[in-house]
Amino acid sequence: MVDPNSQQTVLNVDYSRVGDYLVIELEGEVDVYTAGKLRDAIKEKVEEGEYRIAVNLSKVAFLDSTGLGVLVGGLKRVNPYEGELTIICDNEKILRIFRITGLEKIFTIYPDARDLAGTQAGD
Amino acid sequence: MPSSPRYVSLARLVVSAVARGLDFSEESIDDLKVVVSEMCTNAIIHCEPRREDQRIQLICRPRPGALTVEVKDSGQGFDPSCVGTFEDGLAAGKGFGIPLIRSLVDEFELETDEGKGTVVRITKYDRGTHLPA
Repeated sequence: MVDPNSQQTVLNVDYSRVGDYLVIELEGEVDVYTAGKLRDAIKEKVEEGEYRIAVNLSKVAFLDSTGLGVLVGGLKRVNPYEGELTIICDNEKILRIFRITGLEKIFTIYPDARDLAGTQAGD
Repeated sequence: MPSSPRYVSLARLVVSAVARGLDFSEESIDDLKVVVSEMCTNAIIHCEPRREDQRIQLICRPRPGALTVEVKDSGQGFDPSCVGTFEDGLAAGKGFGIPLIRSLVDEFELETDEGKGTVVRITKYDRGTHLPA
């Protein structure tokens, strides 16, 4: 996603809640230029005491290993609190990157945010 | 182009436009976008000393059914034996870039020497194209 004013790749970050999860809603592209926004969002929410976090990649058009590294870093942030960092994504382009890198074995990935509502702590 | 993260998306646009001009499949174009992003990111973040006037070179060499992309930087180079695997990346939580590039392309070359910069060169053949003997 490109900002029409600056012609620069952008990443929009918003928040919602589904059940016990704080959902970080992303829209745009996650690369070395924008990944810091996701990193800061996860860090901020964990510092606020949110340990059950879902990152919604459904509106992410591009994700590379910089983004993957931020997600892995986020998982490491919540782990000491017995928290979770879950992925929401139904975009085959993005899911393929998780499969190729083996990260599909590390993250729980749901196709839809509504799938979070049926989970409870400890699932 | 400038050695700055803000230009990595431009590199993706350029390479995807070249690949589209070669009638590459959408999956191959998606692969190339990831690959070029990784190549440029590595050149930018590992380019030392980091200065505003540093530049990296992106070179596309198209031919029917194949695209070779080269990214050159004039940084300090690195020890290629440090490049890990996906398993190393999973353990460390980072370092997925070069294994990801290798898994998405047909040919991969890395030329680096400490103090002499780095050249990463990949070739992607479009799906359905016969590989040379």
